Amino acid sequence: MYRIRFHGRGGQGMKTASRILGTAFFLEGYEVQDAPRYGAERRGAPIFAYVRADRAPINERGIIRHPDLVIVADDSLVPIPAAGVLAGITDHSLMLINSAEKEQVWKQRLNHSGSILTLPVAADVTERAELPYVGAACAGAAARLIGVISEAALEQAINDELSDLGADIVNKNLHNAVAAYRAMASHAGLVKEGSLVSAVDYEAPDWIDLPFDDARISAPTIHAAATSVLVKTGLWRTQRPVIDFDHCKGCWWICSSYCPDGAINVVDAKPVIDYDHCKGCMVCVAQCPSHAIEAIPEKQAKADEDAMRLEIGEIT
Amino acid sequence: MTDSSDTIRGIKDLPSTHLLGTGTPMCAGCGALEALHVIYDILGSKTVFVNAAGCMTLLSVYPFTPFRGSWLYTAMASAPAGAQGIRDALDILLQQKRITQEEDLEVVVLTGDGAAYGMGLSATSGSMERMLDYIYICYDNEGYGNTGQQYSAATPHAARTSTSHGVSGFAGYKKNLFDIWVAHKPAYVATVIGADPLDLAKKIEKARSMEGPRMIIALSPCPTGWDYDPRETVNIGRLAVKTGVWPLKEYADGEVVHTKIPRQRAPVEEYLKLQGRFAHLFEPERNEVLLAEIQARVDAYWEKVEVAEK
Repeated sequence: MYRIRFHGRGGQGMKTASRILGTAFFLEGYEVQDAPRYGAERRGAPIFAYVRADRAPINERGIIRHPDLVIVADDSLVPIPAAGVLAGITDHSLMLINSAEKEQVWKQRLNHSGSILTLPVAADVTERAELPYVGAACAGAAARLIGVISEAALEQAINDELSDLGADIVNKNLHNAVAAYRAMASHAGLVKEGSLVSAVDYEAPDWIDLPFDDARISAPTIHAAATSVLVKTGLWRTQRPVIDFDHCKGCWWICSSYCPDGAINVVDAKPVIDYDHCKGCMVCVAQCPSHAIEAIPEKQAKADEDAMRLEIGEIT
Repeated sequence: MTDSSDTIRGIKDLPSTHLLGTGTPMCAGCGALEALHVIYDILGSKTVFVNAAGCMTLLSVYPFTPFRGSWLYTAMASAPAGAQGIRDALDILLQQKRITQEEDLEVVVLTGDGAAYGMGLSATSGSMERMLDYIYICYDNEGYGNTGQQYSAATPHAARTSTSHGVSGFAGYKKNLFDIWVAHKPAYVATVIGADPLDLAKKIEKARSMEGPRMIIALSPCPTGWDYDPRETVNIGRLAVKTGVWPLKEYADGEVVHTKIPRQRAPVEEYLKLQGRFAHLFEPERNEVLLAEIQARVDAYWEKVEVAEK
């Protein structure tokens, strides 16, 4: 049985990628399960989607713990524990990461002895509107790596799954998926089917019994105020709003009131963006009447920041 | 920070630092969070939120909370019942002098449209019947957003949802919750939107000064469910008001007053065309019949308002 796990962020089309891949398998005569994991559907959140495919009926259910192929649409998810990218990975698992960095870098960084490939297609998507097409590229690459899905089946699956979105969207997805499919030609069939799991050999884990506590003790209680600030939602950003104080009129209330997250506060009559928490929605960029806030790609902003820290000797 | 806010007259009176904690798991560009953070600045930390299941229950996921006071999670249909329990408990504590008047809390229900327009309506009706002293805030993103935007009783006609596909979108019509609430004659009912923070802040401040059931519906543009670039949240909200789709109004002392009447209403399609959920009305070809129907409903509403004004 093939077990494929997709990791991406909400808005990158992971659910769609799993549907496309599932349908393509089905068109090739496989029994298929494809499903996203239920969770928050919001943009930017780590999203999981799963595909199982086999020639025989599939009795396995639930999330995929030991994938044969892991697709990572957004490389910033790898170090986030909640994203669970590395969960259950063995030497057998092939990882495909959408990243501008080299395969060797990832192999070393993750100390992974199995195969790692990077997806050269759509590596530099900075426009948010382009994000959903990353999913189609992932599905295309996965189809080729698995090796049992023809280009025709992939195209048919995209047409079947996306036809209500209009010809324009279908064509963009087809273009990206086919490009990724072809880019993976030299690795066709690299994914090996995992073996079936039998319940006969199941051994219960060493459970630790905990006594039942009174609700006053066992109920989760938070005693501190506004602990959510410990969560760095700034990691979600693909673009960063930057205030140009030469043009800022210091009105303060517009960006500060409209920022949905309250991540813009006014310090000494100047708006200050809290980059630890700014999610990069760009509402402030759209609303600033004097156009004093600019959106720059997060990657570029980080590179500029590092260059500056290097210059002042903060890092070496 | 405005724990004890002064009267809000103009935009300059809006708070410049914010009480609601950052780091919440709401989507980037969330229209509901945009309204809520202004509301929280006005209401202050002496509040207890009663949150029915929905997007906003993700605000407080143990061990994180953006609130500075208490928060109670209830099932989808029972937030007003939860509010009743808390109000009663506070009243008993006050009566027994175990807390002072200063330590009293404002009980605030927070639910989405799924709970407010649909399955929680019965409990809400009962709370108004009993003249429960609380504030109800409905963040209305016109669908079950947290689970992938299935249609709700608040979904507008013709919108595409994950359960209303096809060339015409959702066949039903948005329920008129404002009028349903007004029919109960509570202390206060108002519609608000985050894109007009001044109107919003004034209404919340007014509600705060009153007693009894005070009911607020905040139209909450939803980049995920309505399918648009998150940066457009405020623009879409503003267009909802400017096109007349979302009338800003309030009810108090037996009277409904529109707090903002768009004299030169923009065509409704300016609002619709920015949203992917209405894309099928424009592509592959314009659905003139549906567009005209949506426009006609908005026009009919405002004609009635204008007649009533004269």
